[in-house]
Amino acid sequence: MSAAQPVPRIGLTWLLVAQVLVILPHLPHLPLWIVGLWLGCAAWRLQIFLMRAEFPSAWVKLGLMLAVLGGVFLSRGSLVGMEAATVLLVAAFIIKLVELRTKRDALVLILLGFFTVVTGYLFDDGILAALYSLLPVTVLLAALIGLQQSTFAARPWATLRLAASLLLQALPLMVLLFVFFPRMGPLWALPLPGDKSITGLADSMAPADIAELSRSPELAFRVSFDGTPPPRSQLYWRALTLDRFDGRRWSQAEIVAFAPPPRWQARGRSLDYEVIMQPSAQRWLFALDVATTDLPDTRLLGDFRLQRARPVQRPLRYRVTSWPEALREPQASPLLLRRALQLPAQGDPRSRAWAAELRAQYGQPDELVRALLKHFREQPFRYTLRPPTLGADSIDGFLFDTRSGFCAHYAGAMVFVLRAAGVPARVVAGYQGGEWNAGGGYLQVRQFDAHAWVEYWQPERGWTSVDPTFQVAPERIELGLEEALGEERSFLEDSPLSLLRYRQIDWLNRLRLSWDELNYDWQRWVLGYQGERQLEVLEGWFGRIHGRDLALALVGGGALLLGALALWLFKPWRRTRDGCLRQFQRFERLLARHGVHRAPGEGARSFAERACEVLPDQADAIRAFVAAYEVQRYGGQPAAPGELRRRLRRVRRSLPWLLG
Amino acid sequence: MSNPLDACLHAVNQVLLGKEAQVRLAMTCLLARGHLLIEDLPGMGKTTLGHALARVLGLSFQRIQFTSDLLPGDILGTSVFDKESGQFVFHPGPIFAELVLADEINRATPKSQSALLEAMEEGQVTIEGATRPLPKPFFVIATQNPASQGGTFALPESQLDRFLMRLSLGYPAKAAEKALLLGEARRELLPRLEPILDHERLAALQAQVPQVRASDALVEYVLRLVEATRSQPQFAWGLSPRASLALLAAARAWAFLAGRDYVIPEDVQAVLPAVVGHRLRERADPAGHGGGALVQWLLREVPAL
Repeated sequence: MSAAQPVPRIGLTWLLVAQVLVILPHLPHLPLWIVGLWLGCAAWRLQIFLMRAEFPSAWVKLGLMLAVLGGVFLSRGSLVGMEAATVLLVAAFIIKLVELRTKRDALVLILLGFFTVVTGYLFDDGILAALYSLLPVTVLLAALIGLQQSTFAARPWATLRLAASLLLQALPLMVLLFVFFPRMGPLWALPLPGDKSITGLADSMAPADIAELSRSPELAFRVSFDGTPPPRSQLYWRALTLDRFDGRRWSQAEIVAFAPPPRWQARGRSLDYEVIMQPSAQRWLFALDVATTDLPDTRLLGDFRLQRARPVQRPLRYRVTSWPEALREPQASPLLLRRALQLPAQGDPRSRAWAAELRAQYGQPDELVRALLKHFREQPFRYTLRPPTLGADSIDGFLFDTRSGFCAHYAGAMVFVLRAAGVPARVVAGYQGGEWNAGGGYLQVRQFDAHAWVEYWQPERGWTSVDPTFQVAPERIELGLEEALGEERSFLEDSPLSLLRYRQIDWLNRLRLSWDELNYDWQRWVLGYQGERQLEVLEGWFGRIHGRDLALALVGGGALLLGALALWLFKPWRRTRDGCLRQFQRFERLLARHGVHRAPGEGARSFAERACEVLPDQADAIRAFVAAYEVQRYGGQPAAPGELRRRLRRVRRSLPWLLG
Repeated sequence: MSNPLDACLHAVNQVLLGKEAQVRLAMTCLLARGHLLIEDLPGMGKTTLGHALARVLGLSFQRIQFTSDLLPGDILGTSVFDKESGQFVFHPGPIFAELVLADEINRATPKSQSALLEAMEEGQVTIEGATRPLPKPFFVIATQNPASQGGTFALPESQLDRFLMRLSLGYPAKAAEKALLLGEARRELLPRLEPILDHERLAALQAQVPQVRASDALVEYVLRLVEATRSQPQFAWGLSPRASLALLAAARAWAFLAGRDYVIPEDVQAVLPAVVGHRLRERADPAGHGGGALVQWLLREVPAL
């Protein structure tokens, strides 16, 4: 195929179809004008094909390019960064269409298409996206076939089938590479897209934030336990603690990050489990108290949370061992206690007065806490996601007037009262419970499982966690949010299509759980298959193996494979034994590298004459070689490959040096 | 001119302008002891070529104009009763010449045609029970006019096969025609041509042609060509062994004419269109005129090495 030939009709059609399929999954993060650009360019290219329009001039192309740059800048605010780069890539992929003259251009376009497909994984690496990407890849292959302009390519189904079978043939290699190819760390940190769109816990909390989260059915993380999972009511997934209150919001003290690691003593039984968390764009991980993990660059901070060095931008898998009954900081530093007693200078007078009352009544923190919980349980408090609005003294308003709210209200109010009564306490934010997927044997925790609870400190016994919400709405803890909100019907009211709303329909629920299971396995075994896990798996197969040995094995295996492939392709056993002819074949290959190819029906002499015209400086050497070859092969002179080799060397030396 | 053959070619080219390739092929045909069929319109120089060759090679020349009422006897000769001796005396026909030009061979009836063709094949004629050898060398140049088909008897394939080559002279190039128009009449030039060779020397040269080496590798190429005509779907039928012999003989003569004592694939390729063109037909058009496109396909696709 000569690359300078025009693009055939069928190839162009395939290309257009492929473009649509390639761009489609990118649409959610592309500006709308891209669609217009594609329609315009496709129409233009078709008009060119029908000879009703001209190829754009250099000026038009320049204008188009500047317009696209301007458009990207206007809609993305920058020309660098992941999202802008993707828009630029897609735009280039589209604009290239109008200057598609020859097959070579079409090849460039197809390669660009493959690349664009791959960039899609940066935005969505789910199983559906991966499966979908097979479609544009197949059609791109079909376009590649369509460019050949054979009679075969005129049959679309046959072309598509061939493309699919090509893809299928690549499958074993893909699996092999997937399993064995060492995953390298990123060479540079890629600013990943979409930080702002991630829902999840933030590093400060007003009650409304949790209410916001409660509306989201998005997945936060999944957990699979090594043994039997603990009962739901013990699943308090700590994310972070909030110990500073400004009268409205709870936030975390920056100092936490610099504090020395906490002291704690393991007690009771431990729990082993594996977590795969969704990108959160935050640095903390989710775990049960008190957690230790094998993850590198992750440590236990002063408030018993696990924190990474970098935010979690991709699904992250980590193993945790938790000690739920551990004794946490029996001796706390004065600084820490002071922070756990901080309150705004004024406000909420009624709560403060009540706290003073309670303090006088109950000497021990334990008793005080019990009394508080009793208060929540016995007074007419109500659990609702739609609490009435609170005034300036939000704690007072909640405790004495409205008495309705959800976890954040209860936890916030309780910590306030405890602190006012002189008991060090803080709000813990995280998730509670989760949905057990019996088929997959794992727990999925969604954003609406977000929860806030309380932990207080007393000398010798350290920190103790309590959950005031449990007193008001035990079903929230034991069954889940949906049950707690039963009559209110506010569960996921903004997502009428969410399958989670229809959990009572059995088959739908089972379908949903199976689908989730599939996704979980995808994350665990496909996306999560790197680094440690890869080594683990390979170790399971081949015993202890070093990264270096793996690399060696890979290189060796690759070399073997390539060698076998080369043998199969070049078939040296079929190589002629005729030394004379072999020298001529080398001569042929040499000239082919310099652009002179022998036609099958071309004899040595005519080939040489043609080569002499192309390479006049080497004419003498070429003629000498061919004359010697002719005499030996046809003239009855005994074959003397050595002489030919010498003459061939002369030809090679006279030729300019070429790479490859 | 060191080589007498080159001198001959040169001399003929002085008369027949701008037809070097055809003249060379005709000479090749003669050296290979084959016969030549020229297909062309009237006035293209067929007779001139025949005359010039005969003069230069020192051969006796006869021309037979074929017509529909031509009888075999008109070609071969007849016995006439001689009163003086009281015996039948054989009067040889025009075929008893070393170079015979059979003009418009397709105008004669098949019977007359086959008389000529038999003579060509056997090198002898049998008349009234007596076998008479034809002169040596014996070279027939037959011509036919492909354009006018009315009242003609096209040569069947079996008879076409007896011609070693089929040529077409074609229109001269512009420069050659200009020289023709400005120069003397061609026919007047003919008598002035000096014979360069004679019987013996020509026979000696012809005897050298089979000595030209055709190596194993070259014969393989010829076999590949022949095999392709027999196995490829576009050929109505394949080449006969006579054709492959003819091809090799012509290639030898071509190489000999080029002053080489071995054949290379280019020699085969040079004679291939003339030697096999009239022996091939396309499957799509078995009654057609020739295999020009097929020959081009052979030249292009059959591996030469």
